[in-house]
Order: sequence, then C-alpha cells, then structure tokens
Amino acid sequence: MSKRTAVAVLLACLFVSLLLAVYPIYVIRPFRAQGARELAIALVVMRLRPAVTLISGAATLAALALYWRAQPDRWRRGFAAAGSAFVCVLAVLARVNIYEMMFHPDDRPSFAAASRTKLDKDEKVIAIKIGGAARAYPIRNISYHHVINDVLDKVAIVATY
Amino acid sequence: MWSRDVAGLRLTFHLAGINNQNFLMRDEQTGTYWQQISGKAVSGPLSGRQLTLIHSDELNFGTWQSEEPQGTVLQDAAEYRFGYARKDWDVRMQRAPTVIDFREHGLKARDLMLGIQAFGASRAFLYDQVVREKLVEDHVGAEPVLLVVGGDGQSVRAFHDRIPGIQGAPEFYRAAGNQAGGFGALLMDAATGSEWNFQGCAVSGKAKGVCLEPVEVIKDYWFDWRNYNPSTTIYGKKQ
Repeated sequence: MSKRTAVAVLLACLFVSLLLAVYPIYVIRPFRAQGARELAIALVVMRLRPAVTLISGAATLAALALYWRAQPDRWRRGFAAAGSAFVCVLAVLARVNIYEMMFHPDDRPSFAAASRTKLDKDEKVIAIKIGGAARAYPIRNISYHHVINDVLDKVAIVATY
Repeated sequence: MWSRDVAGLRLTFHLAGINNQNFLMRDEQTGTYWQQISGKAVSGPLSGRQLTLIHSDELNFGTWQSEEPQGTVLQDAAEYRFGYARKDWDVRMQRAPTVIDFREHGLKARDLMLGIQAFGASRAFLYDQVVREKLVEDHVGAEPVLLVVGGDGQSVRAFHDRIPGIQGAPEFYRAAGNQAGGFGALLMDAATGSEWNFQGCAVSGKAKGVCLEPVEVIKDYWFDWRNYNPSTTIYGKKQ
C-alpha cells in the first residue's frame, strides 16, 4: 500500500465514521420534526454503525501502521495518528446510547406496598392489573426513565411514558 | 404498556431516540427499534411486528390505592430523583413547544385528549370536556362506548357499553350525589336499574357481579394523537 493509498483509506474511514456518528444525531434530536424517510435512514445507520465503525477503526489502524512506516515526517505522522484516534473514538461513541445518558434507565426497579408509599392522593399513576396483582407507576418517575422493564404475575411487560 | 414477549423472544427495551416527540425504544435482543405510542417495530429484524397491548389506566394515586390496597408501587430511584418531574409536570408541559401541529377542529397542539383505538376506528375526546361532562356515551366505529370520570374528578376510564343479555347500548347516568372512590356506586343504568362502580362492575341490582369490558384509553396531546391516528374523529366536532 502506497502512502497515498494509506492517506485515502484514513480519510475515507474518518469521513464514514463521522457521517455515521453525526447523521442520526442531526435527524433524531428533540425539538426538530422528523421526516419518515430521513428517520428510516437514521435508524438503519444506528443499527449498522457499531459494526461499520469497528471495521472503519480497524482499517484506519492498519492504514496508519503502513503510513507510519512509509512517512518519515513527524508532523504528518502526528496528523495521521490523531485522525486515526478520532476514528477509534467514534467507534466507541457508536456504542454509547446518548438518550440513556440524558434519561438514565432504572435497570433494577424497586416496588413497595401501596400502603407504605407516600404519594399525594392526586399524583398521577399508570395502573395495571394482571391476574390478582396490581401495580402503579407514578408518572413523575416514569416520565423521566420513559421505559421500565418489569414482570408482574409472571407476565413480562414494559411500562412506557 | 406492552407485553415484552414477541416472536418467541422476551425483549428488554431501552430508550433509543425520538420521533416527533414520541420516543423510540430499542430491544437488546434483536436491535429492533419500536415506536412507543403504537408498539410497532419500525426498523430492524422484527420490523412490522406489533407488541401486545397490556391494559392500563391513568389514575390518581388516591383512587388507585382505594381500589388496590394490596398493590405495589414503583419507587423512585434515589440516584435519579433529581431528574424526576415536579408534581405539576402536566401544567408545565402545556407550555412546551411542539415540532408538528395539526390545526384542525380548533384544537391546539398541546390540548390534552383521551384517545381510543378500538373496533377498527380511532376517536379522541377533549379531556377537559370529558371531565366537565363526567359521563360520555358515544361510539367508536360502530360500537358504543362509555367514558366515566372517577370520584376524584380527574381519573377517566372507558368501557364497551354493552351489558351481556341486554340488547343494544344501555343508557347510563351518574348516581345522584355520589362521588364514590374505591368500589362505591358511581353510575346507574336504565336497562337493569343496577348500580355500577368506577371499575365498570355492577355492585347492586339485576346486573350485580357483571363487569363491562374495559376499553384502552390513552391520555395524549392532540399533536401526538393526530400524528399516529390520521383518520381519528373527535367527540363533539363535525368531521
């Protein structure tokens, strides 16, 4: 692989990884209307980007190794290394769920008897009853987490708000 | 509220995005994206699948507690309590901007609606109007439904307005002066003269022991309801 080819691979990897990182954030952000087509594309990107950015990261490291050997100039090596590091960071970021960083999940929801729960009488709750088991999810709480994975009377449910 | 069992899998969901202010979930097992309001898979291996609805009610805690004293309540996660909404979250949300709007029937984007998707049709009821009227007898598609405001004056349930063994849709009216919570009588029907509580069950009269079939009702903002129910009709509005 020539120096020029190595640079081309580095730039291509940088472009692809950056595009995969930025496009879903651009489309799926609060207080912006989502069109059906752009949303569909963004979701496909979000599904594929962990694998694609991993491949991109591996390709960029391979290209960097070849470039490093062939390029004696320190500055150019440094730029190539910084670009490659950025591609690797993007591969890591592709695995981060930013929505759960904003609204943390409650992975181990806990429950208490209604009689021991101190809520105002007019607090709004989402209530379900399955078999003989009844459960309430205060909206103040669930409107933050948005998603509660739960099991009630052996039925697996997801409470959402 | 949805079942997590679909296509022979038990799914675990995560918050994963937003679609016109209605959020998207992603399941851990297949990576499929699901729309919260519809329970429909919108992207991924299970695309096109539908989660099974689990019936739920939005109630005031006091009303629910009087009905289900043995029930359990989701507790706050101490480390995230800082992010929980204030008690007046619904009032504050009324002022939040929306990214889509449907200027129809004189409704505003943040008008609170009670939406019913049942019997092959969608119909929305202005929440404030239902609370004012306390009892609404109407139709969704061809089927009669009953919307009942609880004794707390805020909780609402909907029922299929059919009593087994009675032809047609029985006429209901509020039991005079009764603001019962718990299992007390709230309604009477003209067909059997029975008294009915907020759970939709007859507590006295000929129909005693009979319960009306609950109908899922979603409290939602007009813009969101209309976005996912483009053919919705609206109670009290000319179509």
